[in-house]
Amino acid sequence: MTAYIWLIPVLPLLVFLFLIGFGSRLKQAAGYLASLAVAVSFVLSLYVLAEQWMMAGSFVRQVSWLTAGETTFSVGLEVNRLNALMLGIVSFVSLLVHIYSLGYMQGDERYGTYFAYLALFTFSMLGLVLSPNLLQTYIFWELVGLSSFLLIGFWYFKPEAREAAKKAFLMTRVGDVALFAGMILLFWQVGSFQFSEIFAAVDAGKIPSGMVTLTAILIFIGAMGKSGQFPLHTWLPDAMEGPTPVSALIHAATMVAAGVYLVARTYPLFEASETALLVVAAVGGFTAIFAASIGLVQTDIKRVLAYSTVSQLGYMMLALGAAGYTAAVFHLGTHAFFKALLFLAAGAVIHALHTQDIREMGGLWRKMPLTGWVFLIGALAISGIPPFAGYFSKEEILLATWESGHPFLFWLALAAVFFTSFYMFRLYFMVFAGAPQKEGLIRPIGREMSVPMIILAILSVVAGWVNTPWSHGLASWLSADQLTTSYAAPAFNGWITVLSVLLALGGIGLAFLMYYREALSPARLADRFSAVYQVLLNKYWIDELYRVTVVWLAVQMGRLLQWIDRWIISGLVALAGMLAAGVGRLGAGLQTGQVQTAHLVSVVGLVVLLLILTLGGVWL
Amino acid sequence: MDWTLIAFFVLAMVAIGGALYMLNLYKVVHMVVALAFTFFGLAGIYVLLEAEFIAFAQIMVYSGAITILMIYGIMMTRHDAEDIPIRRPVHTLFAVAGVGGLFVFLLYGIMTTPWQTPADKPLAENNVKELGLALFNKYVIPFELAAMMLLAALVGAVVLARREVED
Amino acid sequence: MVNLASYLSIAAILFCLGLFGVLTKRNAVIVLLSIELMLNAVNLNLVAFSKYGLFPGLDGQVFTLFSLTVAAAEASVGLAILIALFRNRGTAEVNEMDLMKR
Repeated sequence: MTAYIWLIPVLPLLVFLFLIGFGSRLKQAAGYLASLAVAVSFVLSLYVLAEQWMMAGSFVRQVSWLTAGETTFSVGLEVNRLNALMLGIVSFVSLLVHIYSLGYMQGDERYGTYFAYLALFTFSMLGLVLSPNLLQTYIFWELVGLSSFLLIGFWYFKPEAREAAKKAFLMTRVGDVALFAGMILLFWQVGSFQFSEIFAAVDAGKIPSGMVTLTAILIFIGAMGKSGQFPLHTWLPDAMEGPTPVSALIHAATMVAAGVYLVARTYPLFEASETALLVVAAVGGFTAIFAASIGLVQTDIKRVLAYSTVSQLGYMMLALGAAGYTAAVFHLGTHAFFKALLFLAAGAVIHALHTQDIREMGGLWRKMPLTGWVFLIGALAISGIPPFAGYFSKEEILLATWESGHPFLFWLALAAVFFTSFYMFRLYFMVFAGAPQKEGLIRPIGREMSVPMIILAILSVVAGWVNTPWSHGLASWLSADQLTTSYAAPAFNGWITVLSVLLALGGIGLAFLMYYREALSPARLADRFSAVYQVLLNKYWIDELYRVTVVWLAVQMGRLLQWIDRWIISGLVALAGMLAAGVGRLGAGLQTGQVQTAHLVSVVGLVVLLLILTLGGVWL
Repeated sequence: MDWTLIAFFVLAMVAIGGALYMLNLYKVVHMVVALAFTFFGLAGIYVLLEAEFIAFAQIMVYSGAITILMIYGIMMTRHDAEDIPIRRPVHTLFAVAGVGGLFVFLLYGIMTTPWQTPADKPLAENNVKELGLALFNKYVIPFELAAMMLLAALVGAVVLARREVED
Repeated sequence: MVNLASYLSIAAILFCLGLFGVLTKRNAVIVLLSIELMLNAVNLNLVAFSKYGLFPGLDGQVFTLFSLTVAAAEASVGLAILIALFRNRGTAEVNEMDLMKR
């Protein structure tokens, strides 16, 4: 079986290569081909996961790729429990999104190209999780960023889409630079990119502790870029310019989770440094509250979900920082399911109504009952209501933060629970309940779109049951890997559960009052706290701040370089040209057609010859 | 008082002076006359060199025939022409440099070569007779060839310069 | 005392003056005339060597005779060409004849 594991990422790669060339000719068949390939990858991934579930061993297969001096870089793949779980999640959500896209992107002109890009992304993400060393991880990391860029800017004729794609790429690039720096530092210290060797060096204490903290923080900055943590978060809401299935796959379930995955993968590095863990937790916690607060007042359905994603990723980082490794990974899995579900449902709404503004929606419960049901399930899951999946994963996180020894993290997490349920149900009530704000034709959604949503809804219910506070099934399985040096299951703390559920219900209740019953008018609240409201509505003006500082600087540098290029470099080139032309013109001066000129040339030539002969010492 | 020396200097002055005048005068006819003086001077120098026949041939051919020929040419083209040099600074500069350089080389060669002065024996008492003997015995073939060349030149010149027949 | 070098120097001077005339003069007749001057300088050289050279004899003078002949023939043919050209172009100036210009 291990011989076929390499097929898992390679099949989508082959599909990508094929569709890039022939996609436009295949039309409908492109989608089916891509979905088939991903389905096969999924089946293989399930097999790998099952294997890992039964047996204990993790293994690495690699071949040496290039040798520089005495060091050899190799590529290959590694399978351990974390990997296998990620493989399953990524391939499954990718498959569902492929099937959904068959319906959503129907009729689009560049249908084949879309599936090619989706296949490229799937290949990159699967390759990322299978990498056994930092170098290969970085390569796939960049590929994932590239696929994200291509997909965000898929509708390139929209200027906002182009800008958003550029912004996403550049901002994650900032993180990538830090990741690269951390990588190089580790290589310098350890002499290898292999995870196993790096962890062994850390365990043996061969790396000075300051260096460990530094590299861990640098790697975390890379993760911050990809996972949209503050202050590198502004690209994620703008990335909603891409098609909704893309948002579901990349910006909810998988790519943004790559940051969390990276930290989890290099966890021994973080465990060795208290400072790094604190930084991770603090940034994560702050982001969770920060993004949730912005999401409270946004009016674009996809943007609310985007800020929700940023907030939930902050949750995962918070868990990682509080030494809740399994809690974070667990939440990653459940979040993938219910966030993808929410995005796909939002996509169905957008597909039906042709608008993304929730102020224009309402009363969709009667007209789109299926969508309404699955959205409700997703909202309940994310709010942490038992027995849905989100409750169990959030429980783990809360328990981990409670036991972390930094109680203020715990209170942050708890506050975020309230915010999450509030904005989620605000969304739900404004879209599905109440009276319709806008009349219009509702386009029905096909089976390709509804079936994936149903599957995800089912998963959002049951996925949490693999790791309950009573039987830590997933946790103990995951941590039996040598990846975490120590793991102690947090003890079940009854009052935390009660508190969190109460807060969640409180959030739902408040949203109910404000948006369903209209007992508390949101408009009047906005007026009373208008300063706060403006700050939240304008996203704390972070985008504007970036524009006048970082962007302005970059633009000025670009102008300077452009000036240099135009005048100095092109000037040199033009100078060379003018030189050649000048010499040519000089030579042409000899061709006057007059006899005397030719005669003069021969006389001068004779004199020069005599000169050479004299000075050369040959004189008859 | 070495009369040959004085004669040499005078004749040399005439020859070179004629050439210089030729280069610097404006009217074309004047230039031709100046060159005729040069030819006369050279004929005198030939006499000093004991080449009397050559001297007379020089006067007859050069100062006689060729000078008149040139004046014919002038009359048939533009007899009132002036040769005012046009401003071609680069060309003139290179010309002066080239000619000057060549002159320097020639003088250098002349002055530094160790010429041997053999005994000053007289060439021949009877220059014309000796020349005739050499010409018709040793150099008869070039003589005949020269004759044929003159014929060719004659015919060629006539063909080239005649007017086209108006049909 | 007049020796070989003096005669050769005169010949060199005349030669260079003739060369300068060929290179610089505008009227074609003058150019031909300068060529004749150059040929004269060569003749002087030959005659001087014939008397003062390594092997004094009459050979130099015979050579001179032939050179004279050729020069005369060449002058006449040159002038014929010049006249034909003058009839065609209407001008006897060397720098007006630049059909081979670039």
